[in-house]
Amino acid sequence: MSREEALRKRARELLESKQVVMVVGHRAASTKGKAQPAFIAKPEDAESLIFDETCGQNLAGHLLKVKHLGKIAVVTKGCDSRSILVLLKEKQLDRAQLHILGVGCEGVKEDGKLSDSCITCEYPNPIVCDEMLGEPAPGDRLQTLNPKPQTGELTSDERWRELSEDVSRCIRCYACRQVCPNCYCPVCFVDASQPALVGKTTELSDNMVFHIMRALHMAGRCVECGSCARACPMGIDLMKFNRKAAQIVKERFNVVAGVKEDDAPALTVFDPNDKQEFIR
Amino acid sequence: MTQRVITADGLAKLVTEWAKKGAVYAPVKAGSKDWTEFRRVTSLKETDFSRVNTKQSAKGLLFPQREVMLRFKDGKSEEPAAPEEQVILGIRPCDAAAIAFQAKFFTGQGQTDPYFKARLDRTTFIGFACNTPAETCFCTAVGGSPSGTRGLDLLLTDIGGKYLAEPVTDKGAALIADMPDPAIGDLERKLAEKCAEQMPQAIDTAALKRRLDSGFEHPVWDELNLACVNCGACTFLCPTCHCFDVTDEERKGRGARIRVWDSCQFCIYSQHASGHNPRQTARSRYRNRVMDKFKYTVDMVGELSCVGCGRCIIECPAGIDVRETVEVLTRQLPEAAEKK
Repeated sequence: MSREEALRKRARELLESKQVVMVVGHRAASTKGKAQPAFIAKPEDAESLIFDETCGQNLAGHLLKVKHLGKIAVVTKGCDSRSILVLLKEKQLDRAQLHILGVGCEGVKEDGKLSDSCITCEYPNPIVCDEMLGEPAPGDRLQTLNPKPQTGELTSDERWRELSEDVSRCIRCYACRQVCPNCYCPVCFVDASQPALVGKTTELSDNMVFHIMRALHMAGRCVECGSCARACPMGIDLMKFNRKAAQIVKERFNVVAGVKEDDAPALTVFDPNDKQEFIR
Repeated sequence: MTQRVITADGLAKLVTEWAKKGAVYAPVKAGSKDWTEFRRVTSLKETDFSRVNTKQSAKGLLFPQREVMLRFKDGKSEEPAAPEEQVILGIRPCDAAAIAFQAKFFTGQGQTDPYFKARLDRTTFIGFACNTPAETCFCTAVGGSPSGTRGLDLLLTDIGGKYLAEPVTDKGAALIADMPDPAIGDLERKLAEKCAEQMPQAIDTAALKRRLDSGFEHPVWDELNLACVNCGACTFLCPTCHCFDVTDEERKGRGARIRVWDSCQFCIYSQHASGHNPRQTARSRYRNRVMDKFKYTVDMVGELSCVGCGRCIIECPAGIDVRETVEVLTRQLPEAAEKK
């Protein structure tokens, strides 16, 4: 039985036996090479589930929309499971109300090209799951095949220039924020209006404030799934911000978001041994 | 009006001439990116007409995403200078029709938006007919055509290194008055027909509208919206979407009143000053967008606000296809009786 057949079979069983009220997965979109999140509530609809290189959406965030319905099964690749762990630690999800259908991920493709985040991915398999469907994906294979994108090698001025060029293309559609599984604030800082905190225009300064603040909010939480970069209609590599933040969190606190079930989110912990050289 | 033939050299000369008198905007390849954008050009060499549609539509050239309405200082205000004359070259018939729709919205409801009107009056629209549709094109399904002339002054059709030019307005005719008459028969029509043949059949939009009229509370919306992430990519890339917000930016007695595009997909869009939000849920915001395209603007200005450019399909991060949405709605919503 192929992985996809196993997935459909299990989804159908879970729905028929009423162990879950819904299976969240992927289905093929109408345009070639794209998938759409699928919310399957009827056993017969399980046939539309797919899992392949087009399934780039991180489904963890979609769980927040349907968790009120009851126990949900979710198709979970490595990055999705890391986001689920972050959401569990932040008390946004209840583990008992999730049935995690693990799948090994060979990387997500965009226009036939392996997504940047998948090239650097160290966790193609779910960190946590209730059952694995199909074989796990080979761990570091992708990395050895593809060089890591360079980050943090530039001077401060060069970096600012490069980020300014990137961010000046932003049209403030917030696709990056909306697809992010860990962006779930009821009122985002950019939507605050009494008082307004961030300018709504596409001036470089307004765009930069949005992207830098978002990156800071993601530090220690972003699992580098790359959904934001893939969602951006203007082709901005938003992961430049997030990769850098994740790198700093790892260097300073030795924490990688969403890879352990029992550690606390890096920026919620005070440790007297933390480097505090900025306090003079 | 008399059709003419323009050679590539002829068009190059015209572009150089126009660029001396005002701004010329045309599709240009966006740096290292795999798409084209409307940018200011001074010669035909800079342009790239190889894509069916530009990443963003031409709407920003008449209705910029960020527009200064006035500047103020110490209690005195100053309006911005009148916009310059501009030629938009290589706009596709769907995008031109979208601007004609926006013109109806901004100038045709008993109120005139002076900012839009000032630009509209100073813009010449030179369209490019589509010879080959993209996979996501569906203008023919919503009343458009790959060789449609609505909103244009002049329509050019690439007939292999040369362009057949069809004037739509006197302004368009004047642009090409010096060009030779064509010796080619109905080639242009044939090309356009061939393109249209490859495209979807017309949707019965009147029947869809009647379904939407009575379908506001139908449970179909509960399922349809689930995949949507409520970002504004579709609205900002849509050539007909025209909502805006106005903010004052002020510091020490000086500042500017600025309007920026707004999107019905954002929660803050419909939030009242009291804090009440009539469109609190993702479901209601998704429904609003679909209703707006196929019902509300029909009620308001008598036409759909979808021209079938396909940008929302290409860019939706959730893989949602408006053609599919329309298909599901047509299938599931009961059709209400036609109103007399």
